[in-house]
Amino acid sequence: MAMKGLKIKDKHIRSLANLLSGPKPILYHKEDLLAYDCDGFTIERHLPKAVVFPKNTEEVAAIVKYCHENMLPFLARGAGTGLSGGAIPLNNEVVISLTRMKKLLSVDLENRIAVVEPGFVNLKLTNSIADKGYYYAPDPSSQYACTIGGNVAENAGGAHCLKYGVTTNHILGLELVLPNGEIIEIGKDGIPDSPGYDLLGLLTGSEGTLGIVTKITVRVLKNPEDKQTVLAYFDRVEDGSQAVSDIISTGIVPAALEMMDKTAIEAVEAAAFPVGHPRDIAAVLLIEVDGISSGIEEQISKILKVCKSRNVREVKVAESERERARWWANRKTGFGAMGAISPNYLVQDGVIPRSRLPEVLKKINEISEESGLRIANIFHAGDGNLHPLVLFDARVPGETERAIEAGSACLKVCADVGGTITGEHGVGIEKREEMRFVFTDEEIVAQTDVREVFNPDNLLNAGKLFPTPGRCAEVKKELKASTS
Amino acid sequence: MNMKIDEKILQSQVQDTPCSTSSLSNYFEKDAPDEKKWADCVHCGICLESCPTYEVTGQEQHSPRGRVHLIKSVAEGKLSLNEQFMDPVFACLDCRACTTACPADVEVGPLIEEARGQIRQAMPLTGWKGMMSKFFLEGLFPHHERLNKVGTLLKFYQKSGMQTAVRKTGLINIMPDHLVAMEGVMPKVTQSVRKKYKHEDVIKAKTETKSEVAMLTGCIMDVMFGDVNDATVKVLTRNGNDVTIPKEQTCCGALHVHAGDREMGRKLAKQNMEAFHDADTVITNAAGCGAMLKEYPELFREDPEWHEKAVEFSKKVQDISKYLYDTGYEIPKAELNTKITYHDACHLVHGQGVRQEPRDLLINIPGVEMVHMPNADRCCGSAGIYNLTNPEMAGAVLDNKMENVPEEVEMISMGNPGCMLQMAMGVKKDGRNQRVVHTVQLLNWAYEKEDKKREEENEWQ
Repeated sequence: MAMKGLKIKDKHIRSLANLLSGPKPILYHKEDLLAYDCDGFTIERHLPKAVVFPKNTEEVAAIVKYCHENMLPFLARGAGTGLSGGAIPLNNEVVISLTRMKKLLSVDLENRIAVVEPGFVNLKLTNSIADKGYYYAPDPSSQYACTIGGNVAENAGGAHCLKYGVTTNHILGLELVLPNGEIIEIGKDGIPDSPGYDLLGLLTGSEGTLGIVTKITVRVLKNPEDKQTVLAYFDRVEDGSQAVSDIISTGIVPAALEMMDKTAIEAVEAAAFPVGHPRDIAAVLLIEVDGISSGIEEQISKILKVCKSRNVREVKVAESERERARWWANRKTGFGAMGAISPNYLVQDGVIPRSRLPEVLKKINEISEESGLRIANIFHAGDGNLHPLVLFDARVPGETERAIEAGSACLKVCADVGGTITGEHGVGIEKREEMRFVFTDEEIVAQTDVREVFNPDNLLNAGKLFPTPGRCAEVKKELKASTS
Repeated sequence: MNMKIDEKILQSQVQDTPCSTSSLSNYFEKDAPDEKKWADCVHCGICLESCPTYEVTGQEQHSPRGRVHLIKSVAEGKLSLNEQFMDPVFACLDCRACTTACPADVEVGPLIEEARGQIRQAMPLTGWKGMMSKFFLEGLFPHHERLNKVGTLLKFYQKSGMQTAVRKTGLINIMPDHLVAMEGVMPKVTQSVRKKYKHEDVIKAKTETKSEVAMLTGCIMDVMFGDVNDATVKVLTRNGNDVTIPKEQTCCGALHVHAGDREMGRKLAKQNMEAFHDADTVITNAAGCGAMLKEYPELFREDPEWHEKAVEFSKKVQDISKYLYDTGYEIPKAELNTKITYHDACHLVHGQGVRQEPRDLLINIPGVEMVHMPNADRCCGSAGIYNLTNPEMAGAVLDNKMENVPEEVEMISMGNPGCMLQMAMGVKKDGRNQRVVHTVQLLNWAYEKEDKKREEENEWQ
C-alpha cells in the first residue's frame, strides 16, 4: 500500500490513500491543494479536501464507491484547462485527477477508431497517428494540454468544428464509473449509432455531473489530401462578417473560418506568437479549406473573390506549411495572449446567428464602454460561436464584479438575437445564472431530473451547470453541503 | 443589467485580490519575486504538457502554472515560506520549456529562481546538505585553481589504475546509485584550456583576423571537458577569430542561482562582468552558462547601476553555434560519414532561443546524416546539479528522454556539458553504444580530417 508509515490524521484521507497505488497518489497539504483551487476559470477559488491520482478504472471505482458510502462530495479533473469552472471544488470535494490515466490503449486505422484513457492529451492523439496519415478532428485551442476526458465532459469544440463537428460527433464508446462506483460501458466496440437512447450524446457535454469517464473510443479521420489557408484583413467589421456569410453562401464549407477584432489582434501581436497583423485593421479572417486536391484551387479563388468584393484591404494565401502553422499558433494561443495586455480576463462563449454579428459586436462595444473595461473578440465566425474576452485587473477593487457583469451582459445580447449562452466552453459555475436566459424553470427542472437518474445524491460535481436551485429538496441539500 | 452576483464570488474576490501585495506578503522585502512576472499568467494551462516534472507526476503543484500560482499565493499571504512550498519550487528543473510554450511570455524560470532565493533566506541549508552545498558552490566552483587540482586528481584516479581498482573491489558500492552511474560515464579528463593557453594573452586567428572574441571557459566544462573547450578555440581561430581567455573570469553562478544563493550569484556576476569588460563578444559553449550570463540583469533588479552594466554585458554574450552561424564560418570539406541526432539543451533552446543554428552547422558537415529525435527540446534531467540533488526525478525524466533518442544513430550531439554527462548515463543505462558529443567537437573533427587529408595529399605530391 502506498503512503504507509505516514501519519495522516484525517480518517477519510487515510482510507482513500489505501485505495491507491503509485508514487504520492494523494495530496492533502494546503500548499499542494492550492494548485487545484481553480481551473482555467480563475474568478472563483475553493480548496478541495484532497486530490487523488488513480492509475486505472478499478481505482477510480474504488474511490467513487468510498466517497458514495461516506457521503463525501467528489469530482473529476483532467488538465484543468476548462474555462467555465467545471473542475473547481465548490463543496470541498475530493478531486479525482485523471492525469495518470494517460495511455493510448489501441489504434485501429482500418476501422478508424482509437481507444484512449481520459487523461490522454488531445494533441497527442493526432501526433501519434500523423505519420500514418490520420488525425483526431476536434481541436480546441487548449489542445496542447487539455485531455480527451475533459473534452468529453465539456463537449469541446475548436476551430475546425465548422466542417467536422464537435467532440460528440467523434465519440463512439465510453467506459464510465457511475456516482455509486459501478462501472458501465456504452457503445461497445466503437460501432456507431447503436439502437436505444443516445446515451453517448447525453453523457458527452454533461460537464462531469453524470459519471466519470475512464475509457473513450473515438473516431479518427484520414488527413485531407490538401489544405490551403487564407488570411484577410478588413477595415470594417461589417465587411468582414459579410464576407463570412458570402463564403458560406457560395456553398463552400470551410474547415475553419475564424475572426479576430482589433483588441484581440493587439494581444496576439504583443504575445509569444506574433505574425505581423497590421494594428489598425478592424478584423482579420483566417479561412481554411481542405479536401481532395482538385477542388481546392477553385474554392480558394472563390474565397479571394468574395473578400475583394467586400473591400478587403489585404488578402493572402499561406505559402508554406510553416507560414500556415505560424498563423494558427497566433490564433490558437489567443486567450493566453491576453496576459500580454491585461492581468486577468474572463472569456465568454456565446453563439449567434452569423448574420447578426455586426449588430452584436456593436452592442458588445457599448457594454465595454459602459463598464469601462476593454473587450476583445475572438470568433469562430463560420458557426457563429463568439468569444468576447473581458479584460480586467482583479487587483483593482470592483473590477472583477464589473467584468462578471459585462460578461453576462454579452451573453444576454447573444440570447436576445436568437443565439445561446455557450458554444463549447460549458456552463460550469460561470454561466449557471445565464441558463435562465435560454431555459424556463420547468425546462431546468426537467434537466436536473435527468441528472438525478445518474447522480441521485448529487455528490458528483454538485452546484454546476444549473442555476441556484428552484426546488426545496435541492435547497436543503445545498444548505447541508455549505454548513458541513 | 440586473445580474445577481453570487456572494461566494465576492467573498473569494476579497480574499484573492489584495490591493497591494506588499502588505500581506510573506516574502522578505529584499529581492522578492517580481509581481510583474506573474501578473501575465492567466492560468490557461498551455504550459502543462511542456513541463517534465508534470509529465512524471501528473500533479499541478509540479507544473509551471501551479508553481506560479503558489509563488503568487505567498505574496498574497495565503502561504508561508515553508517546507511544503519548497518542494514544488525546488523540484523544478529550471528547464524553461514553459517559457517557450507560454502564450503570454510569462518568465517562469526567473520567477522560480527568485522564490528559491527567498526560501534560502528563510531556511538556510544546515547539516550535511549545507556543508556539501558550501563545499561545492562556495569552496570549489568559483576557484579555478582548486578545480584544476580536482581535475588532476581525477586524471590520477583514472590513469593510476585506482578507477579500475575501485570498480573491481566493489568499493564503489558504498556510493549512492546515482553517483555510481555518474562515475561510470565520467569522461576521460583532458587538459584544461585555461592551463594550456595560460601564457598566451591572445590566441591568434589561423587566417586573417575578422574579429576578436573572449571566451568563457566554464568551471565544469574546462575540467571535465577540456577537449570541448579546445575544439571551441580551434574552430574559432580557424574561422578568423582572435580568442582571449580573460584570467579573472570565474564560474558563471548558474548553479548558485538555481540553488537560491543569489548573493553569491551576484558576486560572481560582478567579477565576470569586470573580467570581460573589454570584450565586444563573449563566447560560451555551455548552454547553462550562456543563459545565466544573458540573465545577469535579473540579479540586479534592485541595483540600478549594476543592472545597467548587466544589460550591456548580456548583449555581448553569444553561444558558439549561433555566433558561427551568424558571422559566417567555413563549411568543412571532409566527409564524416556518420549518423547522428541532436538534443536541444534546455538553456540553449528555451533559455537562449537557439534552435536551428546548431542543427544547420551539423547538417552542413559532409556525410553527416541527421536523424530526427522526437521531442528533442525535452529536458534530459541533468539541469545543472539537479541530477545530484533530485536523483529520482532526474532519473524518471531521463527515462522519458531516452525513449525518444533514435536507436540507429552513432552519435548524439548537443551544446551543454551537464546534458552530455546525463545523456551518457542514459546511453549506458539503456545498454546502447552511442557516443555523446558537443556540436563544436563534430565540426572540429571534420576540420581535422580535412587537414589530415590535405597533408596526406601533399606528401604524395
